[in-house]
Amino acid sequence: MANDAPTPLERFLRGILPENPVYRQLLGMCPTLAVTSGMREAMTMAGAVTFVLLCANVLISLIRGLLKPHLRILVFTLTIATFVTIADRFLSAFLPEMSHKLGPYVPLIIVNCIIICRCEVCASRQSIPAAAADAIGQSLGFALALASIATVREVLGSGSWFGVELVSESLWPRWGIMLLPPGAFLTLGVLLGGANWVSNRRSVRRPVATTEG
Amino acid sequence: MEHLAELILIAVGAAVISNFVLTNFVGICPFIGVSRRVDMAFGMGCAVTFVISIAALLSWTFTWFILRPGAPLMTWIVRTVTGDPAATSDLMILSYIVYIFVIASSVQLVEMYVRKFHRSLYKSFGVYLPLITTNCAILFACLKIMAYVTDPKELWGLDKALVLAIFGGVGFTIAIVIMAGIREELDHCDVPASLKGAAITLIVAGILAMAFMGFSGVDANLRQAMLPDKAPAATQPATQPAAKHLAAAPWPGVYPRSSRKGPTESP
Amino acid sequence: MKNTYIGQAWLVLVLSLSFGAALAGVETWLRPTIEANKLAETIRRIPEIVPGSDAARSAEVEPLVVTTGTGRAASRHDVFRALDATGRQVGWVIQAGGKGFADRIELLIGLDAPAETITGLSILDQKETPGLGNRIEEIGDDDNKGFLWQFAHHYPQADRPLIVTTASPDMSRSDAANRILALSGATISSRSVCTIINEALSGELISALRSSVSTAESRHGE
Repeated sequence: MANDAPTPLERFLRGILPENPVYRQLLGMCPTLAVTSGMREAMTMAGAVTFVLLCANVLISLIRGLLKPHLRILVFTLTIATFVTIADRFLSAFLPEMSHKLGPYVPLIIVNCIIICRCEVCASRQSIPAAAADAIGQSLGFALALASIATVREVLGSGSWFGVELVSESLWPRWGIMLLPPGAFLTLGVLLGGANWVSNRRSVRRPVATTEG
Repeated sequence: MEHLAELILIAVGAAVISNFVLTNFVGICPFIGVSRRVDMAFGMGCAVTFVISIAALLSWTFTWFILRPGAPLMTWIVRTVTGDPAATSDLMILSYIVYIFVIASSVQLVEMYVRKFHRSLYKSFGVYLPLITTNCAILFACLKIMAYVTDPKELWGLDKALVLAIFGGVGFTIAIVIMAGIREELDHCDVPASLKGAAITLIVAGILAMAFMGFSGVDANLRQAMLPDKAPAATQPATQPAAKHLAAAPWPGVYPRSSRKGPTESP
Repeated sequence: MKNTYIGQAWLVLVLSLSFGAALAGVETWLRPTIEANKLAETIRRIPEIVPGSDAARSAEVEPLVVTTGTGRAASRHDVFRALDATGRQVGWVIQAGGKGFADRIELLIGLDAPAETITGLSILDQKETPGLGNRIEEIGDDDNKGFLWQFAHHYPQADRPLIVTTASPDMSRSDAANRILALSGATISSRSVCTIINEALSGELISALRSSVSTAESRHGE
């Protein structure tokens, strides 16, 4: 059993693209849609999720021997809620403007399926290095996904990237809809379709010999 | 009557104008996952509404009596224990932990109830019932109630909190049932392979969100209609020919500076 | 049975206690910073909306607390004094908020010292439609006047309600200053801002501020 478990490096690499939390696993969509109206908000959220995921994975991996089956979800939830509270307070203290823009979506990290899923699948079963690598890989994948959507929405919606204006309003009119909820849904839907298309083409070109039916 | 008008405004706001799924982006995972068939979607919507109501009730009670700054029960305990009559308590730091436990308990309660009294329904739900714990919509409702309860200008009571929660759930149900109806039709259509599943659902959700945007501003006018004794800034119709000012900028030209006296300074 | 439950629960208890301690520590450490941040946003804008005032000086004085209304309708206002660099009061800043088109709008109203005219307006927080209602934040300059320009340059009277118009107000009228031109395409946002100001500048609040000024004057003498 231990021989089949992925190594830390594998966990790290898998989290970025092959098991990307948003595009492949379809988890954590709520913050993906909500905070991607600008790159700065998106990266702040990615940073918060990285902090929570890393701390939660490491702690759960530390106590994995003590977890009883009935209570493990309870322990996961308690851990995640504590770290999210800490992250939220940090943001209010040191990045108040961002904290205000992100609003209720920082505490919503508690019910973000990504974190509970990683705790369940990886941290409660593997050692600390693997859990930490998994956390960093998944967070990187999440950040990439957020960046892709935020770039599209911010460039089309405000003509800027990271707050820096790219094109003046007279040359390229702003697509206000991109900054509103419909823009979020449409962007994620189209990009998800694109990601599916790419992976379908790759699996057609390189048929993988699988042992399972 | 004014209170009832306020409750109606909150209800309409939570259900339609500020819909949990299509405007606030919460509850997306079940919205995409469970919206294949209308009957399942409706069942999920009802379950979520049920859980939200119980969770809102419990979280409001905890917030009002124990967590908020100056909460009655906690302040009484602190004063009795420390003997200092001016001591207050502020346990808001524990609010997220309390809410998630309240939600987990509510889901557990609902699960036990459904398993006992509606066995077939329980079977058809399968794993989705315990997954309601990770539904962002419920925590979002609790957080909104927390914000309004701790805001000294609003100080929401249990009635407003419950109305927000229940009608938020109703809004979620409306959105998920509409989506299920559309998806049932989409099954007969020729959806490109890469868009099948979540992608086309999200694109359809985007169009739905655009439709729901049409409700913005309804509450401003509803409020005007139902609570007219507040001091509104009534819009006066144009007394001059309106055409020329409807150019792009709101300021068609420079007009003379007022000859009235400016702000007075204190002597 | 009971043994295993307690055996299983000890981990949860230990975790709860240690997390509780950690959270209490974080709270004690960060609370002063968070409180200061909330205030800093308002203080920073005081020079923008009350001409001649100084932010640092104004921050040193406690805000005046005014309670208007009675019973259920009572509301409490924190009114900041706008002081100039020498410490003399040159105006007031009132925080107000209410429902806008999309969500809540929070704003700061600047008044002159005798609380007679509005000297400026600053939007603290709004979530209006980008490109349309969003523009209520803009002051602009003399050539390209934004929505807020008229509050700072027309001196609306504080004790009379603002009226929103969709045509340029005829400036020779006596009440022209209180007529606010709506943003084209954002009538509801403009109307909401004016409703918030009208509700905040109720007669009770204005008379409370004026009596506070006169008591201060009589105390300091002339």
